[in-house]
Amino acid sequence: MALQGVEQTILRDPALFYWIVFPITIVMILTGILRHYATVLMNNPPKPASTLAESRERLGLIRGVNLRNNCHAVLSKESFEMRKNYLVSAYQSGAFLKDPANRGQPPANPMTDPAGMEAMMGMMKGNMMMMIPQTLIMSWINAFFSGFVILKLPFPLTIRFKSMLQSGVMTRDLDVRWVSSLSWYFLNLFGLQSVFGFILGSDNAASHMSQQMASMNPAAGINPFQPGQDPDKLYQNEAENLEVMEHFCILDGVEERVLRHYAGRKSY
Amino acid sequence: MQTNTPDLEVANGSNLVAAFHLAQRAPLILRRQGNMIPHTSVNSGKNPEDYGVIEQLLFSCLQSGDDKSALLCTEELAARFGVTDEKVTGLRGLYEEATAENRPTLEKCLQKYDLMLSENPVNLPILKRRVALLRSLSRPADAISSLINLLDAVPTDAEAWCELADLYYSQGMSSQAAFCLEEALLIVPNAWNIHAFLGEILYSNALSSDGEDSFSLLEGSIHRFCRSIELCTDYLRGLYGLILATLLLKKNQHLDKHSEGPSAQTRSPLTSKILDELTIFARERLNEIVKSRTSNHLIWKGNQGELIAAKELLDRLDSSTL
Repeated sequence: MALQGVEQTILRDPALFYWIVFPITIVMILTGILRHYATVLMNNPPKPASTLAESRERLGLIRGVNLRNNCHAVLSKESFEMRKNYLVSAYQSGAFLKDPANRGQPPANPMTDPAGMEAMMGMMKGNMMMMIPQTLIMSWINAFFSGFVILKLPFPLTIRFKSMLQSGVMTRDLDVRWVSSLSWYFLNLFGLQSVFGFILGSDNAASHMSQQMASMNPAAGINPFQPGQDPDKLYQNEAENLEVMEHFCILDGVEERVLRHYAGRKSY
Repeated sequence: MQTNTPDLEVANGSNLVAAFHLAQRAPLILRRQGNMIPHTSVNSGKNPEDYGVIEQLLFSCLQSGDDKSALLCTEELAARFGVTDEKVTGLRGLYEEATAENRPTLEKCLQKYDLMLSENPVNLPILKRRVALLRSLSRPADAISSLINLLDAVPTDAEAWCELADLYYSQGMSSQAAFCLEEALLIVPNAWNIHAFLGEILYSNALSSDGEDSFSLLEGSIHRFCRSIELCTDYLRGLYGLILATLLLKKNQHLDKHSEGPSAQTRSPLTSKILDELTIFARERLNEIVKSRTSNHLIWKGNQGELIAAKELLDRLDSSTL
């Protein structure tokens, strides 16, 4: 263990600082920017529906969601029941499906389905865009800078930070405040989000977190179905959601509300 | 033209004066932008918003009869987005329809649309243009059926639902129109103009029916008008409709009481006290609006028609109560 109370001193060449810390940082920022533009270039927008039936299959689900979300603000009891019954029976009988004949069969393998294949390729391209530069830079750092201790943090840290700050340097007794070059790379990798946000704008493609979030939540796009997902299952789900809904209507008593809120401000 | 614009112009008198003023500036805007871009590069120093401006300009120019500038606008858009882009073809079709001299030319437009749709059956702008064209060719039944086909495929398009409601209403099918407006409201639940329009349709429906139906329709209509006022406190159409609907319901309740006893009135949560209060509230409010808008009428120049109608209603009410 390091001696208590005694400052560890390592004699470093100051050139280390300029030849390692700056290059790593600059390369990380530049690859981030490059990745952003590469993603923008290679990104192809989700394909719009090519037939009316396909469009109906996609938007039919959204219609149910709309009904569920907005019926309280709009519909009276009878018209809600009417629409609910219509949608539930349509969902259950598969009336909105692109080809009702295929209903109940296991979904097509996304590998053989060209549309699914395309979507998977899109995802793959996104992942590759993250993986390849990271692998390259990490091997570059390993080849040239491995084992360098390049920074000393101005504040003390507990021993747990050792694995985070000193990866690639196998010295047990080194004070935690020393940072190795490989760790500097990792710190950059995770810590540059805000720098990219500053340079490229908030919704940039360089920040991989947002990319992961986007691939997890495709409902924001035009197509609510992921490749390989069975629309029929989603329809059945939606039908159940609709069936258990309890309806209330904010139009009940709207007159009193209007009178209280708006007429009350005036004295007659 | 795309979906989900909350401020859909439903049966509102479009603002011709403003459109005219905008269109007068068209040569200026087009020249300014024409200088900046050679037609070569994609990213020619233009903001994305500029193209929105050009689109709006196209509409204004067409409304005010400046066809030359309108053509320039479509060319500008086509130069940026390509001639085959869905929206550009839609706008181009709009231009051709607007400048068509006679019926055969319009028929030719229709054939062109059919051809385009056979290539790409989900070209939404063209589908919508086709409906509008059928309507202007005074073939409402065809327009309705093709709009229904469109909505079957794209049930989340509020604009199309509103158009269908308008078509139905023009054919006198009020209950269908009300259904369509409810569907539109499910997509944009806070659009006060659609709420008020629904109220108007229910009101006119109530005028033509009698007995129990009329009561429930009027109640629904009052609900809708109130909701539109709740969402937009100064909404003139909502207040106007509220006055008419409350007065009518009150009159009907009065008649009903004399004839049969308290059948409909006890069932209704709208007591005559509330109705009175609503009428008074709406009148006061309308009075204020009319006063303030007449005093600074430069801002409200476009909506003079509504204002005059509101004034007339107030005058009529004043004279009847005196």
